Amino acid sequence: MAPVEKLLSGMTLGALLIAAPSADAGEVLDRVLSKGVMVMSTDPEYPPQSSLDENNEFVGFDIDVGKEIAERLGVKIEFVTPSWDVITAGNWAGRWDISVGSMTPTAARREVLDFPAIYYYTPAALAVHGDNQDIAAPADASSKTIGVGVATTYENYLKQDLVIDAEGAPPFEYQIADADIRTYDTDLLALDDLRLGDGVRLDAVISALPTILDAIDSGYPLKVVGDPLFLEPLSVAIDKGDPEFGAKISGIVTAMRDDGTLSELSTKWYGADLTQ
Amino acid sequence: MQRLWSDLIEHPWAVWAIGFGACVLALAPFDLSGLVGWLSTTPGQGPSPRALHWLGVLALSSLLVANGWLISRLPFQLQVLMAWIELLALFLLFFYSFDLSYEYILGRLRFLLGIGLRNGFLMGAALTLFICFAAIVASTVVALAAALGRLSDNGIAFGLSTFYTSFFRGTPLLLQILLVYLGLPQIGIVLTPIPAAVIALSLCYGAYSAEIFRAGILAVPAGQREAARALGLRESLIMALIVLPQAMRLIIPPLGNQFIAMLKDSSLVSVLGAWELMYMARTHGRAEFKYMEMLIAAALIYWAMSVTFEYVQARIERRFGKGVTS
Repeated sequence: MAPVEKLLSGMTLGALLIAAPSADAGEVLDRVLSKGVMVMSTDPEYPPQSSLDENNEFVGFDIDVGKEIAERLGVKIEFVTPSWDVITAGNWAGRWDISVGSMTPTAARREVLDFPAIYYYTPAALAVHGDNQDIAAPADASSKTIGVGVATTYENYLKQDLVIDAEGAPPFEYQIADADIRTYDTDLLALDDLRLGDGVRLDAVISALPTILDAIDSGYPLKVVGDPLFLEPLSVAIDKGDPEFGAKISGIVTAMRDDGTLSELSTKWYGADLTQ
Repeated sequence: MQRLWSDLIEHPWAVWAIGFGACVLALAPFDLSGLVGWLSTTPGQGPSPRALHWLGVLALSSLLVANGWLISRLPFQLQVLMAWIELLALFLLFFYSFDLSYEYILGRLRFLLGIGLRNGFLMGAALTLFICFAAIVASTVVALAAALGRLSDNGIAFGLSTFYTSFFRGTPLLLQILLVYLGLPQIGIVLTPIPAAVIALSLCYGAYSAEIFRAGILAVPAGQREAARALGLRESLIMALIVLPQAMRLIIPPLGNQFIAMLKDSSLVSVLGAWELMYMARTHGRAEFKYMEMLIAAALIYWAMSVTFEYVQARIERRFGKGVTS
């Protein structure tokens, strides 16, 4: 549908109903199967999960997992790129059907989204500048200035209100107290500020270990401190209200884990199997 | 005392002396060790690093002042040209010092420029221009309507117009973009990012431009209107044939200014994931940790587009200024 037609039909609908209907049972699944297209939201600012290659194509672990899910559903895949806080806010209004975006199922997010399938686990780690001497363990970062992406679990961890709401999530404890939290649009902006020098703008950053290692590989003068802070289960997310679609996705991801596809993709992008 | 001071100020050399002092003050805090390194032939001997630093500062300041003095001897046109060339060279030197990967910029430049299509639609700078042109047309219509409403005797039209301008001038553009994109679906209107961007930009800039239109219309002398009325023209025709064409001359310069500002404010719609120039720069910069490269390339593209806008504005200005300005 052309945008104008979409606008007009939307207006009629709006005039008739005033309030948007929430997704009925089976609606998303019906839409995906009848159109033959699954629309997936992704934020291509997070290599190696999702980024744009030199041909302007999406590449990354999340992208490959999304493609595989679509293939097993028997539909094509399309990508849209709303910002991360728009994705996590829920109420997608049918703009996209699924998020394969390495999202941690937290209690707060579960109020607006459903998490049908955990597809891998990623360690959250603390990074400091290479010149840093006084942070030898995560606890040393207490009361320091620490950068994190906005609305991430790392921010929750520093605020000590992180509730990971998923089965099999390993327990963790808060090792860093009274941090001076600086939030950024994305994790990578925090890493950019940390690379300026030890304590110039930040003393440390918390992000996903693969992201930090990727930055170090690209020449960022950083180092990882101690063991991972916590292990995050990362899940596929869908809008609330379509359990049929959720069950279908859940089945597909379980099959992908059982037949080794997930492990294979994880090894391809992370150099390690993070799916078990 | 005062006499002495004014004599000093008016002395032709005073200005250069003050300039020299300013250069020294401005350069003193910088680390010039790289520059003065080759001044001392044998490290360890010769002047101390501190002395070398001040030597460097003085040398550089003299160079700057001498350069300024030389340029001031030239005719005006050449002065302007030299100033531009030197500033541009400094600008490039500044970027050069970042040690950027030009290969990376060249490899991904076509996506920033928007050569080719993505999912059958524009991207990059081409999409930025598309969004801006659509918003320019829409905002001009909205602005004219709002200005006429504001000038109307009808209380409802006046109320509508003032309420609209007050709200859209009184809230940030980023907030309006998010309201249109996230708020409208609540009443069943689900927009994709590009129409949402065009609507938000049109409404915001329409509100500002409404005041420009109003000022332009009010600036046309009342005698013009009275003369037209005496000739028996209807009020709507007076506005369309007599007042607006004359108002346009006054409206064009500030309106062009608005559109240049809009060109750059359109980068805010990258939060919706519309693949315009800013979004392309951000994501491609992220792909291999080459953020500065992409940002600088995008800055140059925005700049080039603004210069083009300025040129077009000057042409239109000349057209509507016929018979008034030479």
